[in-house]
Amino acid sequence: MSVSLRVTQRSIADRALLGLQGNLDRLSTLQQQLSSGKAISQPSDSPMGTISALQLRADITQNAQWSRNAQDGLGWLGSIDNALSSATTMVSRARDLTLQGNNTGFASQQARDAMATEVDQIRNALIGIANTKYLNRPVFGGTTTSSTAYDANGNYLGDSNPVARTVGSNSQVRVESTGPEVFGTGGSSLFQVLANISTDLRTNPSQLGADLNSLDSASNLMMSQTADVGTRYQRLNQMRQAADDKQLNLKASLSGVEDIDLPKTMMNLQMQQVAYQAALGATAKVIQPSLLDFLK
Amino acid sequence: MSSFESLSVALSSLYAQRRGLDVTGQNIANANTDGYSRQRIELTAVGAPAIPAVWSTWSGAGSGVSVDGLTRLRDAFLETRGRDTQASLSQFTTASQTLNQVQQLIPEPGTNGFQSILSNLWSGFADLANNPGDSSARTQLLQRAGAVSDWLNTTQSSMASQWSAMHDQLSALVSEVNSATHGVADLNQAIQSATLSGLPANELSDQRDLLAMKLANLVGASSTVGTDGMLSVQLQGSSLVRGNVAQDIAVNSIPAGLLDVTAGTQVQITLASGGQPLPVATGQAGAILDSLNNVLPGYSARLDGVAAKLANAVNTQQTAGYDLAGNPGIPLFTGTTAGTIKVAITDPKLLAASGVAGAANLDGSNATALSNLANQVGGPDEVYQKFVVDLGVATQTAARRVDSQTAISNQINAARESQAGVNIDEEMTNMISFQRGYEAAGRLMTAVDSTLDTLINHTGLVGR
Repeated sequence: MSVSLRVTQRSIADRALLGLQGNLDRLSTLQQQLSSGKAISQPSDSPMGTISALQLRADITQNAQWSRNAQDGLGWLGSIDNALSSATTMVSRARDLTLQGNNTGFASQQARDAMATEVDQIRNALIGIANTKYLNRPVFGGTTTSSTAYDANGNYLGDSNPVARTVGSNSQVRVESTGPEVFGTGGSSLFQVLANISTDLRTNPSQLGADLNSLDSASNLMMSQTADVGTRYQRLNQMRQAADDKQLNLKASLSGVEDIDLPKTMMNLQMQQVAYQAALGATAKVIQPSLLDFLK
Repeated sequence: MSSFESLSVALSSLYAQRRGLDVTGQNIANANTDGYSRQRIELTAVGAPAIPAVWSTWSGAGSGVSVDGLTRLRDAFLETRGRDTQASLSQFTTASQTLNQVQQLIPEPGTNGFQSILSNLWSGFADLANNPGDSSARTQLLQRAGAVSDWLNTTQSSMASQWSAMHDQLSALVSEVNSATHGVADLNQAIQSATLSGLPANELSDQRDLLAMKLANLVGASSTVGTDGMLSVQLQGSSLVRGNVAQDIAVNSIPAGLLDVTAGTQVQITLASGGQPLPVATGQAGAILDSLNNVLPGYSARLDGVAAKLANAVNTQQTAGYDLAGNPGIPLFTGTTAGTIKVAITDPKLLAASGVAGAANLDGSNATALSNLANQVGGPDEVYQKFVVDLGVATQTAARRVDSQTAISNQINAARESQAGVNIDEEMTNMISFQRGYEAAGRLMTAVDSTLDTLINHTGLVGR
């Protein structure tokens, strides 16, 4: 501004008003930031910060979903694990009975009939276990719409489609085991083997040795699936933990982008208040006097 | 020199000082009047006749003072600059306000923004993948898809009503311009008549300058004072006021609404008598025209882009899957613009969660694929985020342009005020000068009176 500028009362008042308005505007911005707690309340406050906030929010929602998916998967695998451990106990009881029955010198036919009845019961109980449900869906039935995985005769009703849970970007974990994978298929299926044992106990004890081998291989299949389920459970648990941790980190980042630095903003507000009061004081002093005050 | 010459000198001084006091009074009275230019009395000493008559002699000191006129202290060049900066300032301010209004439709970043609504939709698909047979997961998804399309519909229609409001504003502005140009033409006439009859026209000129400033503000019209003292107003090469004739302008609006605006169908300002559109670029009208023809349609198209991307991505994936009954999926959304997008499916069972063909099954792989659209490169999320950032940058830039233009405008206004504004101290000083001058002239008259008294009443009385 040139030096020779002629100053008038109105120009002083105008300039004072502009200055005061600028001060008040900054004050109100700080006030708004403090009362909302947000440094970015609209995209133009910081376009780059806004895009970070948008992406972080999307990521947080996604990680929360992954964590929820993993939780659901843990429910499935937990049910399977429980089912398999009780199935294992039952299968070993069936093995004991078969061994006893195979000992022809020791067991009478009457005793073997009794054993056969118990094996039948074990078989029925195992079919019940194979129909274990989680949230009303058979956990050994793949993606079947049927309410059970096996019918009463031990025939598989499900399909072989996997049920998977997404627990990370491009990371899916299977959360079911289909019946055939766990209990075997056709003649070597656990239920068929147990049916054979029951029949052989009653009518053909000499076959029991071979049955025992079949039972062992069916049992081994189940064991290996139990181990597999355990591993998947472990992995899912880790992924859930990772998703939860990530979520915490993302929330911290979002807060860093979006939220105000409280002490700093308080300090700024204080400074702005001082500046505003100083401006008010100065304006009051400058605007008042004119030559009028000194003329008599 | 006659004996009474001094009396008339004193009298001319009394007149002049009185006029001076009047002018000072007028200045003080209008110290805070908008557009008032301070006035100054122009005094000239009256000397001996420049061309003496034959045989005449002149021995006097001069014959007093005469008032030549009242000068209006306003710099025409500064005024022109002031009008230019004002036109730019009001253009930038209006543009910034428009962008701010658009931005208010996009409540980001926050938990109520479209990003959250969209993320909820993807989450809903993940829930569906977890429980493809669960009717509550399916119903929830339909609700969330409805929320997405509702937001797009509402935002689009808000933009359309913003467009209509701005269009109304433009019509009001044009009639304001027309009344201002007629005002200038009338004042041109009045000033000319006043000048011809030798009357002061300073206050009328002030009013005319105010109107010229208003015209610059509204449409960025430029004004020049001709040699005849008439103010001509031009708008983009067309004359709005020439002499005492004003030409009306009109809004030539072919598009009826936001969605009707195309490259060939635009809102224009023309002369009311017809002719080519005037390419108004500055002033409020310039910003409003730009908003109506480019800014709002542009952002509306960006929103359409989000809707199209969303509908396309979801429908493609949805038709790749199979519904609860094992039938191929049907599109979830109809319509590909923000205004028309709707959820087409009402039966939750029709959501294609399964990726396995054939008989009905509870596979969720297609729902997983749908929920993974959240991370699709160039997908709806990305298109929307880019839209928000572009809008934010544009709004921020517009606000900064207003800030810098305000600084320039303040400087020009300070310079104009420094030229034309009333300084009370100065007026007080002038007032004292004129007051003392008046007193002195009065005293002169008394002195002359007293000498004449001596001459007339006390001379030649010796021995009486």
